[in-house]
Order: sequence, then structure tokens, then C-alpha cells
Amino acid sequence: MSNLVVLNTVRFIFLYLIQILFLKRLSLLDWQGFIFVNALIYPLFILMLPIRTPRMVILLTAFLMGLMVDFSYDTYGLNAACNVLTAGARPYILAWFEPREGYNVNHSPSIGHMGATWFFRYTAILMGIHIFAYYWLDAFSHVYIISILTKTFFTFIFSMFFISVIVLIFPKSAKKS
Amino acid sequence: MLRGMLQLFGAYGASLLFWLLEGLSLVLLVQNNPQQSEIFWNSWGILTNVVEARMDGMVDYIGIRADLLELQTRNIQLLEEKDNALYSNKAITGSVDGDSILQAFTYIKASVISNSVSINNNYLRLDKGREHGIEPHVMGVIGADGQGIVGVVNATSSHFSQVMSVLHSQSRISASIKGSGYFGVLVWNGIDPELMQLDAVPKHAKVAVGDTVITSGYSQIFPRGIFVGTIEGKPYIKEGDNFYTIQVKLASDLSKIDYVYVTKHEMQDEFRELEKERNE
Repeated sequence: MSNLVVLNTVRFIFLYLIQILFLKRLSLLDWQGFIFVNALIYPLFILMLPIRTPRMVILLTAFLMGLMVDFSYDTYGLNAACNVLTAGARPYILAWFEPREGYNVNHSPSIGHMGATWFFRYTAILMGIHIFAYYWLDAFSHVYIISILTKTFFTFIFSMFFISVIVLIFPKSAKKS
Repeated sequence: MLRGMLQLFGAYGASLLFWLLEGLSLVLLVQNNPQQSEIFWNSWGILTNVVEARMDGMVDYIGIRADLLELQTRNIQLLEEKDNALYSNKAITGSVDGDSILQAFTYIKASVISNSVSINNNYLRLDKGREHGIEPHVMGVIGADGQGIVGVVNATSSHFSQVMSVLHSQSRISASIKGSGYFGVLVWNGIDPELMQLDAVPKHAKVAVGDTVITSGYSQIFPRGIFVGTIEGKPYIKEGDNFYTIQVKLASDLSKIDYVYVTKHEMQDEFRELEKERNE
């Protein structure tokens, strides 16, 4: 139990630091208009919380993580809103992807427990929701729908790339949790 | 009680928390980011404008009935000042007579409460009757703008009256062609509620497409010169016939008529007197 709390706390801090120290700088680099690089990986924390985590805890930690990212990105409320949305959607996506024999409540939605195919489908859907909401709220108007969709597409690709790297670098933690 | 509330919170707490946090995030977003804040307040302004406009519309609609009645009264005043509603008492030109102009026609406003155009013999019902001065067989009904003929009153009760529509197989309205003065009888063949037929126009008359057809005023039911419609399709004469076959496109759309005026000839009694004299 306490192991899980420690593990998730570490993951929280780790993902947060990657997001604000590495990915934020990456998105600020001058790509000379050639390509739009932005990647969001901090929602992975919400995605990988153990299945039995109470919904309230998920929502509160999602809000906290979102606000912390917002403070770093100077986008007060934007990441918090998206992250709370992702946290709110998580139980429904989990119910949608529930295996025939049901979940083991001690497991986490991870490659180790659920398999790579399952994990990437689950992650792709929630990240898609998160990133689309992110750019929609960023533009705050459907008028820019083309730009919103383009940005969502590229950011989705980069985010999924970095998420894959992370879950494949640390397969151990994935297996244990 | 407390237990129940806790249970309720247990069941719906997560959803509540979700909306609370989501709302909080959006408030932060709108408050702290200039672009989002501008778009939000702009949209809010548009939204409130739309709501206010709707409300204004509803309030207007409540007041519109009173406005309408006032307008009808004004309209009647104007109609009654027109030449075709007046009777000139002057016999010798230049004579100065205080009572030289008499009111020949007056108008009574009414609302249509039932109507039909789809059968061969159509009738309308009006919300005014004997108590408002409406009499059967001698009064006509015209459209709300003072143009277009609707029918002839054929029965009254104390508060309602029945009108034989011009779209009736027995309807006969005397009408003439504006300008040339040739006249005929308007009848309806029961086919198209927008088209009536002008019969009995002699074949030596000059008739062209687009000519204006007006009431002749010969029947004392309608004042002279009320716009009935225009001639549609080229008038022609059937083989061996002495009269034109003329189609008249009606000015008023009888299938959507709400308000009308009933025409009343103030000297109707004198015509009755004439009839009596003749019959004796």
C-alpha cells in the first residue's frame, strides 16, 4: 500500500520535472517554423494511478498536477482544466476497455499488467481527449478548428512518442505497480 | 439525516468534485489569460444580447394586439376619407352647400376566426356580428390593407357573421378593368384559390395581360375602385363566344387572411326604397 503511494509520488514528481524542465524547453526551441513541437506527458501520472484509486483522489491530484504545470507554463487554469477532464474521463474509458474477466483491483493500467496493445489504446484515447481539450481551450473558439486539429495531431504524435520512451525505459516500475 | 447526506456525497461526490475543479480551472483560465478572457466576455455579451432581444420580442408581442386595434381604427379613418367612400350631394357645379359631401361607405373591423379555400363553396367566419352593425347580403368584406376582396356577408348572429368567400361557386362580384371601364362578373371555377375568372367582358373591349381589375361599385356592396387583382395569361375569346375568357390573379392571398374590414353602405335603405317603388 505505502509502496504504491511512494511509487506514485515519485512518478508524479518525475513526470512533472520532465515536463517543465525538458519538454517545455523543447517546445520553446527555435524550430524555424519547420515543425511544431510540443509534448504533454504529465497526464501519464493520472493514467497510471492504480485502478482502485478513489475518483476524488484522482480528480484532486489531477487538479494539483495541472495547476503546477500551469504555474510553470504561465497558462493559469488551462492544464488544470484539461487534466481534470482527463481524470473525469478515465473511469469511463477504463469501463469501456474492461477485459472480459474484469480488472484486478490491485493492478494499475500499465503495460506490465494489461499488455502493450491495451495500454497504448487506452493511453491514446485519453491523451487525444486531453490534447484536443488543451488546444481548444487555448484557442477558446471553434473558429480556429483547423489550427486546433493540426496542433492536436502533432502534439499527440510527440506526446505518444515520449510516453512510449518513458514506459519502455522504466518497465520495472510498470510491472511492479 | 447526516448519514443520508454522507451517502449522497459518497454516490455523487466525485461528479460534484469533477465539476467543481473543472469550473475552478475555467474561471482561472478566463481570469488570467487575456485571449480567453476577451473571447469569453465577448461571447457572454453576444449571448446576453440574444436573450435580451428575445425578451424584447416577447414583450412586444404582448403589446402588439393593442397596437393592431389602433392601426385598424386609423386605417378605417383613412379608408372612409377616400373618394370612393363618399357621396357627393352636389348637382350643380359651383353650388356651395354645407352638406354637399355625405359618407356613403363606412368600415367595420373584424378578425377572421375560421376560413377555408380548399373546397368548391368556401365560407369564412368573422368575430363581429349584428351587434356591431353587420347585416347579411348587403355588406362586403375586404382585406386588411384596404385592398383585395374577400367575400360577402351572408348570415349574422349577434356576435358573429358568416361570409360567403369570393371562392364560392355562387359568388358573383361586379368588377371592371381600370382605365377602359369595361366591366364583367368575377366568378370562381373552384380550381385555384389565387385565380378568379372575369366573365361577360364584351369581345370588342381592349384587354391586355397585367391590366388592373377593380370593383365596379355597381352592386353597392363594395365601394368602387377597390383593387381586386391583375389579369394573368393572355385573355382570349372562345370560338363562337361573344365574351372574353379572362383569368384574374387576386391581390389578397385568401388562404392566409387574419384581419378584414366589412364595408357598409350607409344609404342602403334608399336602395331598398327604390326596389320597393319599382315592385309596386
